[in-house]
Amino acid sequence: MKTRTKEFRARYDLTQEDLAKKISVRRETIVFLEKGKYNPSLKLAYEIAKALKTTIDELFIFDD
Amino acid sequence: MKDKLTTIIGIGIAACVIFTFLFYLIAKDDIELFDIFTILIIAILVITSLYLIWDRVKNLKAGLTVQDERLKVVGYKAGYYGFIAAIWSAVGSNLGYNLIFDQELRGGLVTASVVLVSGIVFMILYIYYSRKGTLNENKNQRIQSKI
Repeated sequence: MKTRTKEFRARYDLTQEDLAKKISVRRETIVFLEKGKYNPSLKLAYEIAKALKTTIDELFIFDD
Repeated sequence: MKDKLTTIIGIGIAACVIFTFLFYLIAKDDIELFDIFTILIIAILVITSLYLIWDRVKNLKAGLTVQDERLKVVGYKAGYYGFIAAIWSAVGSNLGYNLIFDQELRGGLVTASVVLVSGIVFMILYIYYSRKGTLNENKNQRIQSKI
């Protein structure tokens, strides 16, 4: 699974720490997410999409 | 508030363990091979605990969450393997001692080996998974499975 979190983060000029504070997770979780080393739960994916003003479909791309 | 409280409690417990460990070393007259093994394991447990506490304090100071869903998964996974290690050490410690020294291991020492081995396995794997990630490439469809 790929993610466009970094791209959306750059749009709103948010650092990893800013995004982590917004959604109440650790900065390392955002780091792992962007590197593709962690797949978030549905709840976290929704929180991230909400924080970045987008949808889960736009943010996460599944490899079939 | 809860994060701060648990971190303070963790620091208190680590301090107690360190002082007990130091008193044990000072009070011990002769240190045998088995003692060195035990001391090493305790030292590793103390060092990794201090690292985890430092990590928590760092996040607290930055105003970030100390524990999130990813760390919970890391804890569950490390705990699972720590449990397996506990079972194996309960069986293996007495068996191994019997095979090597042709003697039975005392009950207290078996308990100590279970606690130490499972603790060290948990700590090492906790740090490993928290730094390297827990993603298993064959089971990475968490979002799909929840929909």
